Amino acid sequence: MHATIQKPIDEILEYLKPDERVFVVGCGNCAAKCHSGGEPETEEMAERLKQKGVKVAGWACTASGMSLCKLALVQKMLNEEHKSETEQADSFLILACGQGIHTVMDATDGGMVHPGCDTIFGGETVNDNYITEYCSLCGECIVEYTGGLCPVTLCAKSLLNGPCGGAKDGKCEVDRTRDCGWQLIYDRLKALGRLGELDEYKMPKSNSRWSRPRSLTIGEGEATFRSLSGERKVASHA
Amino acid sequence: MSKLKQALESGQFVVTGEIGPPKGVSLDKCLHDAEMLRNHVTAINVTDLQSAVLRIGSLAASTKLIERGLEPVFQLTCRDRNRLALQSDLLSAWAMGIENVLCLTGDHPILGDHTEAKPVYDLDSVQLLKAASTLIQGHDMAGHELEGAPSFFLGAVVTPAAEPVEPQVIKMKKKIEAGASFFQTQAVYEPDKFESFMNQVQGFNVPVIAGIVVLKSAAMAKFMNSSVAGISVPESMIREMEETNKEDRKKKAVEISARVIRQVKPFCQGVHIMPLGWDELVPEIIKEAELSQETRIQREA
Repeated sequence: MHATIQKPIDEILEYLKPDERVFVVGCGNCAAKCHSGGEPETEEMAERLKQKGVKVAGWACTASGMSLCKLALVQKMLNEEHKSETEQADSFLILACGQGIHTVMDATDGGMVHPGCDTIFGGETVNDNYITEYCSLCGECIVEYTGGLCPVTLCAKSLLNGPCGGAKDGKCEVDRTRDCGWQLIYDRLKALGRLGELDEYKMPKSNSRWSRPRSLTIGEGEATFRSLSGERKVASHA
Repeated sequence: MSKLKQALESGQFVVTGEIGPPKGVSLDKCLHDAEMLRNHVTAINVTDLQSAVLRIGSLAASTKLIERGLEPVFQLTCRDRNRLALQSDLLSAWAMGIENVLCLTGDHPILGDHTEAKPVYDLDSVQLLKAASTLIQGHDMAGHELEGAPSFFLGAVVTPAAEPVEPQVIKMKKKIEAGASFFQTQAVYEPDKFESFMNQVQGFNVPVIAGIVVLKSAAMAKFMNSSVAGISVPESMIREMEETNKEDRKKKAVEISARVIRQVKPFCQGVHIMPLGWDELVPEIIKEAELSQETRIQREA
């Protein structure tokens, strides 16, 4: 899930030119879970903008559980279901993550977009009120050796070969209320009886796999991941 | 050849000191601190943007020590440089005559005075040691041959009072395998705990230089206990400091430092004295710790 938080209304108002007619778009999946751009928040944003004197062409949100970052879905929603309103719009205000923003651009043939949210991280929805980050999308998963816990994400310094000397009482030097990622890894490996995993030297990360932008093409029998490390083809069951 | 290496390899008990380069271009105070250590220590650590606070670089200040005939331990952290810059600074260091390098992770930028800086940590301290070892072997990390290879004496750090200590011990072993030939430790105030740590790492067969941070006041001790990782000043020592008049504090600081040094001496291969500005006390500490003989031998070596 891509966690997002809504930008302050004053910041959004600064983006809009006088007389600009805006169409508000929300996401029924991640942004809905974050209450930053689900159906109620999208409708509410349209109302708030109207109250501030902004011309609102309309609003739309993908169905509950459906992601805004799926192009075909957004094309149908904006170009068919809401065609009469979007034709009147000068721009789109997107209450979703950065992927959703670009999907709206693609769906509207390069329409003018404004971000209504800040995309803050990709995380696990632990419960309805708590989302937290366990993966940095680095392109090279190493959690086999760390009991499933990612040091790139959980260690403030992304250290791969064990803790620095900065932890105190199991808490990280950057924030004494935050667990030291390596303390978590150590505790977990110890509980699993796999502390031996820590003995082995871990090579520096391949940053080229972490280069941006990256893409994945899913073909019949084969998927291709493209990054600065080159093309990586893997078997696909598509 | 590195005097530090020679001294440790010949089994002498070494004393190292430390200076912190200034924020700004005036090196007078920092070089004066270094002068106070002349004839009393084998080598002087030069910190690398200590506490993530912007200062003159360790490379430049280390070079200034070499110009003055003092031997630096060039501290190099992973915080501010990617693998290109780290390797380049290592090559530059050798070109400037620097032999001793202490490879560290580095405090996070959030603890310093440029909290919005991008933390780099492209390598960790073990990987940095490995990279430096690779340079010594005549190649860079990418496997390309070097035109002339350096011959560093590589060191690393360890925190003996960490709780739990096991991850520190595991990492220490990896640092040795990656090329660390000596260790300097976080401040030691509890000789008993230090002894038990040294017993755990005895089989590693690598010299350990115990960190001695000169205790200036009870407030400093309390601050370190609450805020600094891996440091634990015993209550009795805090009381000792509290019961000392302000004018006698330096005397007390010497007494405590010398006492800790005498107590840890049987278990380690040297002490690293960090006077935090009270550099003028270092000669007295060495004298009271009965180390004058050792430092004299090394001076004449």
